[in-house]
Amino acid sequence: MDDDNSNALRRMSTRTRKVATKMAAALGSSDNRTQAALARLEALENDNAGIETVEMNDDDEASLDEDDQGYMQKRSKGTKRKTRQAKALENARKAPRSFLELLQEANLESLPPHVPSYLRAAVGPPSSTSRRHFCSVCGFSARYTCVTCGMRFCSCRCQNIHNDTRCMKFVA
Amino acid sequence: MSNIVVLDNGGGLIKAGLGGERNPAVVIPNCLYRPLSSKKFLHPTTTFSSSTEDLTSAAIRRPIDRGYLINPDLQRDIWSHLFNSLLHVTPSTSSLLLTEPLFSLPSIQRATDELVFEDFGFSSLVVADSPSLVHLYETSRCPDGLVSEGRCSLVVDCGFSFTHAAPVFQNYTLNYGVKRIDLGGKALTNYLKELVSYRAINVMDETFLMDDVKEKLCFVSLDVERDLQIARKHGKDNLFRCTYVLPDGVTHTKGFVKDPEAAKRHLAVTDGASPSEAVADQLEVADRTTDRKRVDLSKNEFDLTNERFLVPEMIFQPADLGMNEAGLAECIVRAVNACHPYLHPVLYQSIILTGGSTLFPRFVERLEKDLRPLVPDDYQVNITTQEDPILGVWRGGSLLASSPDYDSMRVTKAEYEELGSARCRRRFFR
Ligand SMILES: [Zn+2]
Ligand SMILES: [Zn+2]
Repeated sequence: MDDDNSNALRRMSTRTRKVATKMAAALGSSDNRTQAALARLEALENDNAGIETVEMNDDDEASLDEDDQGYMQKRSKGTKRKTRQAKALENARKAPRSFLELLQEANLESLPPHVPSYLRAAVGPPSSTSRRHFCSVCGFSARYTCVTCGMRFCSCRCQNIHNDTRCMKFVA
Repeated sequence: MSNIVVLDNGGGLIKAGLGGERNPAVVIPNCLYRPLSSKKFLHPTTTFSSSTEDLTSAAIRRPIDRGYLINPDLQRDIWSHLFNSLLHVTPSTSSLLLTEPLFSLPSIQRATDELVFEDFGFSSLVVADSPSLVHLYETSRCPDGLVSEGRCSLVVDCGFSFTHAAPVFQNYTLNYGVKRIDLGGKALTNYLKELVSYRAINVMDETFLMDDVKEKLCFVSLDVERDLQIARKHGKDNLFRCTYVLPDGVTHTKGFVKDPEAAKRHLAVTDGASPSEAVADQLEVADRTTDRKRVDLSKNEFDLTNERFLVPEMIFQPADLGMNEAGLAECIVRAVNACHPYLHPVLYQSIILTGGSTLFPRFVERLEKDLRPLVPDDYQVNITTQEDPILGVWRGGSLLASSPDYDSMRVTKAEYEELGSARCRRRFFR
């Protein structure tokens, strides 16, 4: 058990926490359309967020955190005083992280190729590259693409509605 | 004899009860929620669809993200309420059979073990994956069926967080063959929210309401092009248009389908039938609906047409959404192809559908339609749906808990304390 713990900590300290590289590249890029598409897919896994992050720092949560701290201290070897860095590390470790962060940390890429893993179980891209396009406003087959955000529309009417109220909604 | 608590800890619903029983005693959402009228987050005591509470714009906190446990503190809180107040079990004298998603990460398994042994002090633990439990349940339900005969099946679990196609052979999930689509019921509800908010009225914060809309009104299309044409029509020719009434907080705290009979007209559109025939069949129903007002100007309701089938359509064609992932039929083919060729014909004829997101009308028909052309002609394709796709995994767990094999699968608290999480976990590897 001790092994597990220190290993995880070591991994944390030596490897700088990087955001999923693809995501970072896309978000950092000036390509609005890629950004918008990614943000939209991300949003599909959202709960009524915003409120959640505030709640995490609430008092009742803090009491749980202290329990954890005591528990963590017991486990770290010796009675060495915690350095500020170690403490920050522990705090970072305890705050609930998204699955994608945990995934990054697990470093599954380093597993040999024959080992089944979360990453290798992904179904992969479709064999046919053809994609149907539906109008983002009304849902019917859409021939046109918004040059700003990449969403689709089928007619002038839908284009106007899109431009007026919906364009880039998922990025802002 | 000690109790065995069987806990199917889903990202959407917790199914929990005692091993050996037919149904779980408790089915609750795996979350805390905060209605507008409350300052604190509350524990659900029933499913939201069966409560009469006003859940308008309720906030929600889930311990599970993308199918995996990310917030053990929150899960502890929810389990604690579950064990103490709902199930009334004493962990220290009970064993726990816990379902865990495939390919969980070591850090998450460690956190789970800590919860089970250190926070709750269960006397022993068995971790099982859903596909093997579904397979176990189906083989014992039909000892003479195809699944039992071939001793293998392809379990397609389309749940809250994601969708898996998993080959199972002799009660073991062949994890090298498992394929996953990152779409489940949660994404579908969020997509429906997005569509309705774009097109009619802002419901981005109305998860519970939109879950209800999805469950009552969405269906799977057998021919998207044709159905889009039908959905464009005006008046009674539009077999898909229906109205959902929002709660007003005064006379009704729940939303509802305005005309449930009319909402069922989509069932008249069968595969191959031309829309006009179907219209003729349904004239009577349609007539009754024509004099209804289409949209209430007070904006207390909204209409759905093509959204009803474009939402479940995602599972079959995620590419339409811009996701670079294959659809369900291809997912199944890839899972089968990852197995020994000897197994291919048997897997195709023993496909088992489970998970709440397979409950949409026409799911099986559509899957058959998509899958058949991808499978060699001399192989049979046979898809069965579980009797109860939401409880199927739990029922399998209940069977396992009462089987003689259970004892040999257990990791005891003493073993955990001596060996630690990682080494105990090897016992669950198959
Ligand atoms: Zn349009
Ligand atoms: Zn745009």
